Amino acid sequence: MASAELRAIAFVSLILLHTQSLAFLHAIDGAEAHTDSVWSVLWTPQDAVFSASADGTVKQWTPTSGQISRSQPPHTLGIVSMSSADAKGGKVLWNTLEGLTCLWDLEDGEIKGRWESYVRGKEDNEEPAWSVSLHPSGETFAATGGSGNITIRSADPASFGARKSTLPSGRTKFGLCCKHSPDGTRVAMSSEAGQIYIFDLAAEKLLNTYTSHAMAVRSFTWSPDSQLLISASEDKRLIMHDVRYNASGSAGKPGSGAVATLTGHTSWALCADVSADGKYVLSGSSDKTMRVWDLGSRTSVSTIQDTGEVWSVAWRPKPAQHGSAGEFVSGGEDGVVRWWRSAGAG
Amino acid sequence: MHLLSLTQGPLAQFLRVVDLIHEALCSETPITKRDMYYKDVALFGSQSTVNTLVDDIAATMDVSRSDLYVRASAKGLFCGSSLVMHLHSGDVVRGNDSKGALIPPSEDVKRFDVDERLAWVLVVEKEAVFQTLCHLDFSRHASLPGPGLLITGKGYPDVATRQLVASLGQNLHHRHNATHGSCYYLLIRPLLYRIPILAVVDADPYGIDILSVYKFGSSSMSHQDNLDTPRIRWAGVMASELTGLGVSKENLIPITTHDEKKALFMLKRSYIPRKWRKEIQHMLYNRRKAEIEVLSAAQNTMDLPQDKAVRNMHECLLVRYLASKIASAICSCAAKAAK
Repeated sequence: MASAELRAIAFVSLILLHTQSLAFLHAIDGAEAHTDSVWSVLWTPQDAVFSASADGTVKQWTPTSGQISRSQPPHTLGIVSMSSADAKGGKVLWNTLEGLTCLWDLEDGEIKGRWESYVRGKEDNEEPAWSVSLHPSGETFAATGGSGNITIRSADPASFGARKSTLPSGRTKFGLCCKHSPDGTRVAMSSEAGQIYIFDLAAEKLLNTYTSHAMAVRSFTWSPDSQLLISASEDKRLIMHDVRYNASGSAGKPGSGAVATLTGHTSWALCADVSADGKYVLSGSSDKTMRVWDLGSRTSVSTIQDTGEVWSVAWRPKPAQHGSAGEFVSGGEDGVVRWWRSAGAG
Repeated sequence: MHLLSLTQGPLAQFLRVVDLIHEALCSETPITKRDMYYKDVALFGSQSTVNTLVDDIAATMDVSRSDLYVRASAKGLFCGSSLVMHLHSGDVVRGNDSKGALIPPSEDVKRFDVDERLAWVLVVEKEAVFQTLCHLDFSRHASLPGPGLLITGKGYPDVATRQLVASLGQNLHHRHNATHGSCYYLLIRPLLYRIPILAVVDADPYGIDILSVYKFGSSSMSHQDNLDTPRIRWAGVMASELTGLGVSKENLIPITTHDEKKALFMLKRSYIPRKWRKEIQHMLYNRRKAEIEVLSAAQNTMDLPQDKAVRNMHECLLVRYLASKIASAICSCAAKAAK
């Protein structure tokens, strides 16, 4: 062969190698399984992993060994939502199926707050809470549910659950998920009808309504830099929304909304998480797979098979080592908390 | 007191019910609650008013409804030639394999005869599903290890239906069942074993509540406690097994606020079995329920066990699903008896 052709072949091969799919390996399973589906997993910057399950328990895990370090005794009903904040020694907030919200202080391991959202106050006519989210400062939390609004409530043990403000969406569609932006300036909510609402916390104002989905948005995630919001919907798609926002309202183009659709799952998209370096989105689906998507090319670069519906996924927040795409934890139908790591160079 | 409230209020309704009961007792002619309601629709307003009053009176006096000469009108149906009911009046109600027959109130029944070859009993929540199975001659279907009995209460079962199922539950556990046909069956030793009593309900809070009425009794009639069938088992439909049957999540129906409230209420009852609690929780989390009819809408791909008894079926998914559940229930009953 002529040397020019050899060079061409080598060049093409290098390109193919570069765009080759990522591979992820199953690293370890949690030492004990939950006795029902895992509906929520978290990986904190302190390298602790938390899982919350339909069996009513919240467990804390050591990622390297898969051992349980702490566990909460079971509630009578399953845990439908969990959130954490690093401030003040770290806190984990969760909410049960009937709307009992609890705050776990990670420093001393005590439950510092209990709020029975199903008990109707005189001025508070909200439906019981479904999804809850701690503000990064740990001072307040957001709750959404049947009423379709967000209420901001005190996370201070002395007044836990006391309503501070209401952020109305204008609709009464069931709020399935609410999450604060990592920079603490905004809080978003997704509904059973598919809408996503973003509120400015300081101004208590609705900033944007996105209607990129016509079916329920089960869950969504903010990118670590608070500039992207990735939604996971029953329409089997994940949609990337550019939500750049300058809180002071000065210079800089506002985000342009839905910018890309990630298709590939064959059933409901249930959850999503953005990697620490902002390069990849990880999603879980009721088609029993997880997918890793490259945010730059907006394509799926890895599909990982699981045994059941994957309800929740979380990247390790520490940026991945060079040559590795990172590691993550998943939880789903079989009740097992699983760790996965990248097989090598991506 | 206002004259109007005296003639139309709760006191008037109560006195009218007592009056009608007294009349029935004196003339020794039973009356149904439905008849009572129609005697004065304007006064009672709704059937449930009559029902509640009769139940309250019976409970207060610590007697059964039939002691008050109030009998239930027939609502439930059964299908299957294995059951013949002999009434006090001399009439005989013979089960038919392709058509449903009304279940008479138990106080009318002198005795019932069950064919010793009876292999299973299936209680179905909805009349529509019951009729479909009757038209398919399901009680004598070739794919099943033996003849069976189909029963429906048409939703929440009345006393007569619950009484029949409860009696079958008590009396059908020492049956010698001869081997019957297929070589699958020859492998089972013909020992004494219990005949399974299975229930098929919608995968929603109301379906599971109906199931709990059969199994544990009704909370409003807990003083008449010979109406429960503790050994009835929930065969389906469970939302969790639907994806394995080729039913995609799009076929599931969104739950309503009524479903939510009912489901949370049921989860508070301590006697609800763990398996039922799991399904109810999952229903609430997915915010989806499923009706039995979803099996008709599904594709033909599924991973049902390849038992010889169900192998040569060409029928729809509903029939194959039920046949598979019945066959495995018979198997596990036999295994228990063999120990």
